[in-house]
Amino acid sequence: MSAPVVVSNLAKTFYDEGRGQIKAVDSISFECHEGQIFGLLGANGAGKTTTLRMLSTILTPTAGTASIMGHDVVKDPEGVRKSLGFYSATTALYPRLTTRETIEFFARINQYPSERVPERVEYLIHRFDLHKYADARIEKLSSGMKQKVSIARTVAHDPAILIFDEPTVGLDVLNALDVQDSISELRSEGKTIIFSTHIMSEAERLCDRIAIIHGGQILASDTLAGLRESTGQHYLEDIFVLYVKAGLETV
Amino acid sequence: MVLSWKDVRVLYLREVRSALRDRTIVTNSVLLPIFLYPVLIWLAYTGITFISGQNEELKSRIMLKDLPAAHASLSKQFETDKAVVLSKSANPAEDIRAGTLDALVEFLPASSSDAADNFAVRITFDESQDQSDRAKRRIDQIISKYRDDFLQQQAVRLGISREQYQNFKVDDKNLSSNRQVSAFMIILPIFFIVMLAVGAMHPAIDSTAGERENSTWETMMSAATSRTSILVAKYFYVATMSFIAAFLNLFAMMASMGTVLAPMFQGGRGTSSLRIPIESAPVILAGAALLALFVAAGMMIFASFARNYKEGQSMVGPFYIALIMPIMFFQTPGLAFTTRMALVPVANVMMMIREAMQGIYHWPLIGLTLAVEFGCVIIALRIAVLIIQHEDFVMGSYNGSFGKFAKERLLGK
Repeated sequence: MSAPVVVSNLAKTFYDEGRGQIKAVDSISFECHEGQIFGLLGANGAGKTTTLRMLSTILTPTAGTASIMGHDVVKDPEGVRKSLGFYSATTALYPRLTTRETIEFFARINQYPSERVPERVEYLIHRFDLHKYADARIEKLSSGMKQKVSIARTVAHDPAILIFDEPTVGLDVLNALDVQDSISELRSEGKTIIFSTHIMSEAERLCDRIAIIHGGQILASDTLAGLRESTGQHYLEDIFVLYVKAGLETV
Repeated sequence: MVLSWKDVRVLYLREVRSALRDRTIVTNSVLLPIFLYPVLIWLAYTGITFISGQNEELKSRIMLKDLPAAHASLSKQFETDKAVVLSKSANPAEDIRAGTLDALVEFLPASSSDAADNFAVRITFDESQDQSDRAKRRIDQIISKYRDDFLQQQAVRLGISREQYQNFKVDDKNLSSNRQVSAFMIILPIFFIVMLAVGAMHPAIDSTAGERENSTWETMMSAATSRTSILVAKYFYVATMSFIAAFLNLFAMMASMGTVLAPMFQGGRGTSSLRIPIESAPVILAGAALLALFVAAGMMIFASFARNYKEGQSMVGPFYIALIMPIMFFQTPGLAFTTRMALVPVANVMMMIREAMQGIYHWPLIGLTLAVEFGCVIIALRIAVLIIQHEDFVMGSYNGSFGKFAKERLLGK
């Protein structure tokens, strides 16, 4: 049986008026295994977001293939989107809906069975401790509460795959830890998670496997222990710097 | 991409729910049509009535020349009229042109065949000047009244009744409404079209550029529904808001104007013309629906390039102006709803609605108008479909510029 997420030679080229052709993602391949958190670790502009946007079918790959739960990102984008929840700093919530309406809307539009939507909404309100704010408009919530509602809307349709693109950007330490805890709990529930970050401690704390991405290419992909062993370095920061500087490829 | 009507319904309800909680949209699509525009019209009419009342109070400077002695009492009538001031002038024609005199009344000698004491009058005035034109009307009234009284006196002296000396009399019955009501019936379709545009503008920007600004665009793009469903839901939402704004405005104008303007329409005469015949509803509804769909598509095409609300407003602005430009056609005096007019988008709907409001139905022209508007909707939707196929448009890569998109994608430069 193949892995829930399979990426093979995926590439994306953009055209920029000033810079010409830009290879944002250059033939990357990886697999994510069920119930694991796969980390994409890279600096800003490394190609993390473009990769994740291709996996969530917001962008179409220039070359290569990727499948989510057996659905091809090019041939069956709606099947892909039904199987995944996508969360990023640029996926905000509708400010004029309440928490309850938001979760209900995303459950319905992501094809969760209609008859089970009310039950699912109540479960998520309870699960993320949103009772107090269930009927408050999103625009009235604090940043921390908005993050919780955002995660709740990401999992509203109970997808098998979750993509978190730099979910802690702009959050304070406590809120960032809350988000990390939530992601960790979702893994415990059996979700397969792709998690991108440029914060080493987050990757160390959460990821079962880590891919170091730079210049649109994956330079290394392994468990933290495996990366330590192959580089002789203990800290992820040192490992990252080593790979990026050397351009070493140990996929 | 598969269109799912179930998803369209969920998305549409979400859009409407959000819109009804947005102050700008509620103000522009609901409150303004109901309250502001009827009040503005009322103010305009009140102002016009006030100004015309002021003008009526202006005295006419009139010069009498060669008044026959037998009709000296006519001079008295001019003197006693509070709206008239008798003046003297060495060069009346020049003074009338200069505006220092309003009219000259010259009494000409009667021809030999005329009865004794008859006279002819020549009124010299300048029609291009309101004050002079008004003076001429006042002179007409005074002389007509004097003539009626004179004839009656003569008839009494000869023992003839009024009916006997008036071999025939002319009575008139004006089937059209009075001038103010007619003007109002012209304004209604214009406001109707303007409100269609105003009602669509903010929802079109909010559902496209607004989504980008709020970063909800990407959230929506990653939802498990087709982009076609998302687009169709947004499109119907914008068209609905446009349609609602226009109809709320129409009903508010009808409801308020009938009572507010009634006293101005000469004691209520002609106010019955303010009622729109119920049988015109299908024609008005069909025209409004097609126009709302066209306006919604056009505005969404432009607004969708913008990265934020401000850019959206400036992108939609030219389309809004282009849309209400055909209203200028409407101002042309004596404009008729012809086949050529039925081919002009927007203006044709205005003409069709105006006629329907007056209970006039030119069915072939109505059919042609609806076909033209339907064609416009199809063309606008085809352009929209062509645009959303481009991924970089979806990602907002054109810096809010339609021109840049057209250059790079449509012209391939």
